[in-house]
Amino acid sequence: MKLVAVTACPTGIAHTYMAAARLEKVAKNFGHEIKVETQGAMGIENKLTENDIRQAQMAIFAVDIEVEGRERFNGVKVIQVPLQEALKNPEGIFSKIQR
Amino acid sequence: MTSGKDNSMQFAFLCPLASGLHARPASHLAEVANRFDCECVLTNLRNGLVANCKSVLGIIAADVRKGDRCSVLVSGPESSIATAALQRFVEETLPGCDVPLAPLDGSTQSDTLPRALRRAQVCGLFGTSLSRGIGQGKVVVLSRIALPRDVGPQIQVDVQIELEKVKDALEAVRERIGEKIKTCITPTGSAVLQAELAMAGDVSLRQKVEDEVRQGTSAPRAVIRAAEFFIDLLGHSENEYVRQRGADIEEICLQLIEELCGSLPESAIDLQEPSVVVAETIGPQQLLGIDRRWLNALILEQSATTSHAAILARSLGIPTLVGVRNARQLLTPGNKVLVDANRGFVVPELSTAVRRFYEREREIFKRRKLASVERGRNSGDPHRKTIEVGTNASSGEEINAAFENEADGIGLFRTEMIFLGRQEPPSEEEQAAIYAQAVRSANGKPVIIRTFDIGGDKKVPYLSLPKEDNPFLGYRGIRIYDQHRELLDSQIRAILRASAAGPVQIMAPMVACLEEFREFRAAVSRAGQNLSDREIPFLSDIKVGIMIEVPSVAFALDKFCEEVDFFSIGTNDLSQYFFAADRTNPGIASSFSVRHPAFLRFLRYVVDQIRSAGKWVGMCGEMAADPRNLPLLAGLGLDELSVPAAEVRELKQKIGQLSAEHSNSLLSRALACGAAAEVDQLLAAQSDSQPAPLLSEDLVLLESTSRTKEEVIQEMVDAFYIYNRTADRDAMEEALWAREAEYSTGLGHAFAIPHCKTDAVTANSICILRLQEPIEWDSIQGERVRMVVLLAMRSSDGTNSHMQVFSSLARRLDDEDFREHLLKFETPREITSYLNRQLGSAASLVSVNTSSFGERN
Repeated sequence: MKLVAVTACPTGIAHTYMAAARLEKVAKNFGHEIKVETQGAMGIENKLTENDIRQAQMAIFAVDIEVEGRERFNGVKVIQVPLQEALKNPEGIFSKIQR
Repeated sequence: MTSGKDNSMQFAFLCPLASGLHARPASHLAEVANRFDCECVLTNLRNGLVANCKSVLGIIAADVRKGDRCSVLVSGPESSIATAALQRFVEETLPGCDVPLAPLDGSTQSDTLPRALRRAQVCGLFGTSLSRGIGQGKVVVLSRIALPRDVGPQIQVDVQIELEKVKDALEAVRERIGEKIKTCITPTGSAVLQAELAMAGDVSLRQKVEDEVRQGTSAPRAVIRAAEFFIDLLGHSENEYVRQRGADIEEICLQLIEELCGSLPESAIDLQEPSVVVAETIGPQQLLGIDRRWLNALILEQSATTSHAAILARSLGIPTLVGVRNARQLLTPGNKVLVDANRGFVVPELSTAVRRFYEREREIFKRRKLASVERGRNSGDPHRKTIEVGTNASSGEEINAAFENEADGIGLFRTEMIFLGRQEPPSEEEQAAIYAQAVRSANGKPVIIRTFDIGGDKKVPYLSLPKEDNPFLGYRGIRIYDQHRELLDSQIRAILRASAAGPVQIMAPMVACLEEFREFRAAVSRAGQNLSDREIPFLSDIKVGIMIEVPSVAFALDKFCEEVDFFSIGTNDLSQYFFAADRTNPGIASSFSVRHPAFLRFLRYVVDQIRSAGKWVGMCGEMAADPRNLPLLAGLGLDELSVPAAEVRELKQKIGQLSAEHSNSLLSRALACGAAAEVDQLLAAQSDSQPAPLLSEDLVLLESTSRTKEEVIQEMVDAFYIYNRTADRDAMEEALWAREAEYSTGLGHAFAIPHCKTDAVTANSICILRLQEPIEWDSIQGERVRMVVLLAMRSSDGTNSHMQVFSSLARRLDDEDFREHLLKFETPREITSYLNRQLGSAASLVSVNTSSFGERN
C-alpha cells in the first residue's frame, strides 16, 4: 500500500522526528511504502507533494497540534492519532489500516 | 558664565549623575560651597526649585535628576573664586563622585520556590534581593526607633540656653560620626558616613531647628519639628532616591534627641550567634553598629532599594532582602531561618528537605566555581596562555561586584577618591584599613594598587596645587610626589601594610622617565624600612610597576625592564598623548581611535619589548573593556585586561572562545591597514566568537544515583549550571516540566528524552545521564528508564544546524543498535565521540552557523 504521513508535536524538537522514524520502520515491516512529512522546529521537511498525496491510498496524521496545509489532503482518507500513539503502538495503526 | 551687579556671578550645568544629586554628591557640592564666604543659590531649571547650595538638604530637596539643567548664582566677597571652584567641581569632580550601585541581575528572581522545595511543601516569604548570597541563623527582630512623639511637657524656655544646647548637640553628633569614620573599614562605609556627617552639619537643618527654638520651642521638640519638616519635604519628591533620604535625617535627628534628652531605647543590638536580623528599616549607623561576625543575613520590610543601609549591606556582602512584607510578624524571634538572596525569599522553617536542598546547593556552587577555574585554565587554544581578566575599582562595591563576576584580580585599584573632597589628607591608618579591606575582598587574588594620581584638574585643598593652563601636560601623577613626599610615603606604608593581608602590587602613575621610577622605588624602600623599624609586617619583595601612559616610556623600555617588575598600559592617556588629541574634546576625540593602525603598531612595539624581557604587561584603559578589541589585544599577547566589574564575566567568556590563530591573523591584517575605519570594517566582518559546543563530556553524567524523575532532572539542570550553560536553573527546570506536562518523554526501551526550548539556557546543548538503578518515568508501556538524553535549545536562536543534530539524534534513538551502544559505553569520551561520528561531522556539533570563524581563516 502507498501511504503518506505527517508528524508534529508541540516543541518540535524530539518526538516529531522520532515518530517519523518509527512510522517509516514499521510501515516497511508491514510491506507498505510510506513518505513522512515532519512539521517540527525546523519547519516542514520532507514535504509531501500534490503527487505524493494523490497517489497515496491513505494518510496518517500522528500529531498533537494542527496540521499545516491540511487542505492538501482533501479527498484522501485520513487516520488521525495522537503522536504518542505512533511511538507507543505503531503496529496498531497499521493493523487498523489493513482492516 | 555671566557677572551681575554687586559681584554676583552665575553659571549653569547639566547633572551628569544617573541617580541625580542625591546625598553623597550633594554633600561634596555643599562642602565646596561652604569653603567660601559667599551666598550661593542653586536653581533647578526643570522644576524651578531653589536651594541654598551650602545645604545638603536643600540641594537634595531641589530634586536634581540626571540631565536636569541647573543654574548657580554666587554673590558676596569671595564670589569669583567660589564660582571658579564650584564650576571646576561640577565639571571635573562631580561626574566621578558617585559610584552607581550596579543593579542586581533580576533574571533569576521569581515569586515561586524552586520545584524541589515546592514538592516538599516548603513555604517562603518573598522579597527583592539586594545583595546576593545565602545566609541562615536565628531571627533577631530589630524594633524601629521612631522619632519620639513626646519629649516632655511644653515649658517656657530660655531661648539662649536652648540655642546653646542645639549647638552642643550638633557638635557632639558630628564628633560621634567622625569617630565612626575613623574606624570604618570600607570605602562605601566612609562615603555614607561622610554624607551623614554633612547632613548633621547642614545649614538648613540647623536654621530650621534654631527658628523653632526662637519661637519658644524647647530644643528636643524643635529637632522633632525640623525632622518632620524635612522628611515631609523630601517625601514629596518624585525621586525615590530623594524620598529615602528621609531615613538619614531621621537617624541624625534621633541622635540629636539622644544628646539632648539622654539615652533613647537601646539602638545597638548584641548578637551572640549566627543571626538573621529582621527590621522594618535600618539606619546606616545602626547597621554598622551590628557585629558582622554573626550577621548572616538582613531582612527589611521596606523596599528601599537605594537606602544607604541597602548600599552598605551590599558593599559588606551581607545577603539582603528588602520589601519582605510583615516579616516582623511572620518570623518568630529565636527561630532558625534561611535567607536565599540569590532567588529572593526567606524560608521560615528549616525542615529536612530545606537543609538537604541547601546542602546540595552549596555543593553545586563549589563545583561551579571549580569548573569555572578549570574552564579558565583550558579555555580557547591550549597552546596559548590565557589572558587574565582583572577589574578596575575604586571602592569596595566595585570589588565585590567584580568577584561576583569571577574576576582574576584587581588590575587597577585607584586611590584618588580617598584623597579628594576632604580638608585633611587621609591618615596612614585610614588608608591601611581601606587597602587591607580591598585585599581581603580579593581573597588571595592579586591587587594592583596605584598610588594617587592627583594634580592639575583634580583639586585637593591640602595640597595647594597651582592652577595650570594645560593640566594634562602639567603637574600631576608621579610629578608631584617629590614635593609631597610625606603624603606619598604614608600611602606606600599603608599599601605595604595591606600586603600582609594578601598579594599586593604597587604601581606608579604618569611615569615618563626612568629617573622618576628610581625615586619611586626609593620611596618604597624607605616605607619598608619604616615599617621594619616599627615591627609591622609586610610583603618585603613587593612588586613595583608603572602605568604606561606617556609615549616616552616606549622608547626606553629596555632600560625600564631592567628595573620595573610589571607594566600596565593606560590607553586613555596614552592615546591622547600619542595623537596629541584631547580626549575630552568631542570635536576631535572621535578622529583618533585606539584602533587606529598607528596606535596598534605602537602598542605592538611596546608589548613585544616587554614580553621579550620576560615581564608582565596588562592593559587597564577603556580599550580593554570594548569587546570589539578583544581579538586584537589577544593577538598582541597581553597578560591581562583590567575592565569595569560589570564587563568581567562577558569578557572572560569571550576569551574562552578565542582562537590564537584567528587573533594573530586578525591583528596582522589590522596592522597592515592604513586607517582606523579599515580596522573597524575588518572587525565588523568577524562573526561573534565560537559558541559552546552542543556536546561536551561535562554534560555526560554516568552512574547517576538519582532515585526519581525529579532528582534526575534536577541533577541535569545542575550540570548546566555548573558548566555555565544556564544562569537560571529554576526557569530551565520549569521549562522541562512544562514539556513533561504535555505527555511523558519516556520512549520505552529504558530511554527518556526530556527537552525544552528556552532562553534560560545560554547554549544549545545535549546532556546525557545514565542511572545506576532504573527508575520510574511515567514511560510509555510503564517501562523503567536507565538512560536520559536531554535536549535543550535556545528559543531565540531560530532554526540552525543544531536543530538538525537534535532531529537526527531523535530519529537515531529509534534504532536499537544505537541505543545499545549508548547503554554500554564506559566513559563520557566514548559517548561523545560515538555521537559525533553518528550524528554528522564534528563541525556541525560545535558551531551554530555553518560559517564558524574557524573555517573563515
